[in-house]
Amino acid sequence: MRSVTAILQKIFTTQFYIQNTGFFLVLFYFLFGVVDSGSLISYHKGLMMGFLEGPSFLLIVLALWALYCLKCVGFVMKVLQSQGYEFLYPAMGSMDKNRRLREWLLIHNAIYLPVWIYAGVAMMVGIRYHYYGSSIIILVFNVAMALWPLALYDRKLFQPDIFFFTGYLQRWINRRFTKPPVLYFLYELFTQFPRRILTAKLVSALMLWLTFFLMQQGDYFDLRGLQLGVMLSVLLHLQLLTHHRAFDDTWLNFMENLPISTFRHYTRMAAVYLIMWIPEMVMITVNAYTKTSVLSLLMVFCLALSLLMFFRALLYFPKMNNELHVRYVLLTCFVVLFMVLGHYEWLAILLLQVLSAIVFFSKYRRYEPYIES
Amino acid sequence: MPEPVIALHAVKKNYQDVPILDIPHLELPAGIYWLQGENGAGKTTCMKVMAGLIPFKGEIRLRGEVSSKDHPVAFRRLINYAEAEPFYPAFLTGRDLLELYLGTKGGDRQLIGEIAERMGVHIFVNNPVSTYSSGMLKKLSLLLAFTGNPAVILLDEPLITIDTRTLAIMYDLVRTRHANGVTFLITSHQPLDPEEVTITGTLRIADKNITLN
Repeated sequence: MRSVTAILQKIFTTQFYIQNTGFFLVLFYFLFGVVDSGSLISYHKGLMMGFLEGPSFLLIVLALWALYCLKCVGFVMKVLQSQGYEFLYPAMGSMDKNRRLREWLLIHNAIYLPVWIYAGVAMMVGIRYHYYGSSIIILVFNVAMALWPLALYDRKLFQPDIFFFTGYLQRWINRRFTKPPVLYFLYELFTQFPRRILTAKLVSALMLWLTFFLMQQGDYFDLRGLQLGVMLSVLLHLQLLTHHRAFDDTWLNFMENLPISTFRHYTRMAAVYLIMWIPEMVMITVNAYTKTSVLSLLMVFCLALSLLMFFRALLYFPKMNNELHVRYVLLTCFVVLFMVLGHYEWLAILLLQVLSAIVFFSKYRRYEPYIES
Repeated sequence: MPEPVIALHAVKKNYQDVPILDIPHLELPAGIYWLQGENGAGKTTCMKVMAGLIPFKGEIRLRGEVSSKDHPVAFRRLINYAEAEPFYPAFLTGRDLLELYLGTKGGDRQLIGEIAERMGVHIFVNNPVSTYSSGMLKKLSLLLAFTGNPAVILLDEPLITIDTRTLAIMYDLVRTRHANGVTFLITSHQPLDPEEVTITGTLRIADKNITLN
C-alpha cells in the first residue's frame, strides 16, 4: 500500500510538473540550451558570480525566485479549490498538526526544488569565493520562501472559503462593501481565472509597448499606428468576451427576474469593458499625452470601447459560436482599419455604437444560450 | 370570476425544436396554487417563463395591465421566483444578493432583515455563497423571493433541503403574504401541509398545457 506522503506527492508534485512541462522546457532552453555545452559551466558560474557580487542583480534574482514561489502557491491553492479534490479537506484536516506541516513542507519544497538546486549551487560558489553575505541572504530568503506558504496552505484547509491570501481582509471587505453587478465579471476573472485575465492584460500591454517602441524607432508618432495597435490589443481580449457570455449564461440568469431596464443592462455591459480597458488607457495616456491632443486620445479610447462593445453584442446572437465570432470580428476589423486609415475614426465609432445598440436592444430580452446538438 | 392576477395568452416555449409548453389560455385569480406535474413535464420551465428568466412566445399579463412584452421592468417588479436548486456566482455573499434584490425590487428592508434573522440567514450572510450548503442556499433564495412588493411569488420545490423550523417560517410567510393579497404558485412533489396553508386550486401540467382543477 502506498504511503500518504506518496499519494499527496502524486496529487500535487507530479501534477505540478506535468502541467508545467512547457514552462520548464522553455526555462531549460534559456538556461542550458542557448549556450554550447563546452562553456555551459563557465556561463552559469559567471551568472552566479554576477548576482553574488552585485546587490541589484541579486535583488532581481530573488524577485524571480519569489515569483516562482507564488506560482507554486497558486498551484497548491488551485488544487485545493478544484472540484473533485474536496476529500483533501477531511483527509489532511484529520492529521495531527506536526504531520500535516511536514506533508505541506514536503509538497511545497518538492515543487520549489528547481530553485533550491540552483540556489544551492550558487551558495556553494559563494562560499568558495568568499561571498558569505550574499550566500547567507540567498539561504535565508529561500528558507523563508520554503516556509511561509505552509501557514497559508494550513489556513486554507480550515477556511476553505478563502480565495486569496487573507481571509480576514476578505471578510472585512464583504461586511463593508457590496459588490455592484458591474464588477461581477471582473470578480469572476480575478477569483476563479486570475491567470486568464493577467495573461490577456500582459499580452495586450506588450502589444501596446511594441506599438510605441516601433514608432519610437522610426522617430515618428502616427495616431493611425496607435489605433492599429489598439485594434490588436482589443483582439487579444476575444477570449474574455466569450468567457463573459459563458459567465452570464451560467451564473447571472437569476438577474433576469430583476426589474432592470434593458438600457441599464446595456450601460452595465459598456461599463464592464470600460473598467477592463483602464490599464491600457493609462498606458496609452502615459506614452502619448505629449505627442497628441486630448481629443485624439479620447477618440482612441472610444474606438477601443466601441469595438469591445460591438464584439460582445455580436455574442447575443445565440448561434454565434467561436468560429463564427472570429470571422465577424476579423471582418469588422478589416472595415474599421480602412476607416481609420482614411481618418474616418469618429464615423467608425458612431457606426460601431449604433450597431452594438441595435443588436443589444433587439436581442437581449430574446437571448437564450444555444446548445449545439 | 374575480379579476385574474396572472393571465397567460398563447404562451409557447420551445427548447431548440422541442416544444415544452403550449398554453393557449390560463387565468388565475388571487390564491395559493399547487402546480403539479411529473418530472420533465415542464414545471420549472413554466415558472422560469412566468418569472421572465427565459424568452417565450405569447404574452403574460399581471393584474390585467402589466404585460411581459410591453412592460418588462414593471412585470419583473411584480413577480418573484425562488429556484428549486439555486446557484449564484461563488464570490458573491448573501448580503451582496440581498442588497441587489432590495435595490432593484425594493420593499421593506427592516422586514427582510427580520425574516433573515428568523431563518438564521443573518449568521452566514457575509460569507461567500460558495461556502453555503444546499439548505443555506435554499434559505437565501426563499428570502430573496420575499423582497419587494410582488403580486405573484413562484416557489419551485420550496419543501426540499430546508429544515423543519425554516419550513414552518416559510408556511407562515406564505399565509401572511397571501393575506396581504400576494398570489403563490408552488411546485412540489410532496403534498403541501393542509394544516399550514389552504390551497385555492391545483394546477396540472401535462401535454405541454396547464389545467386548473
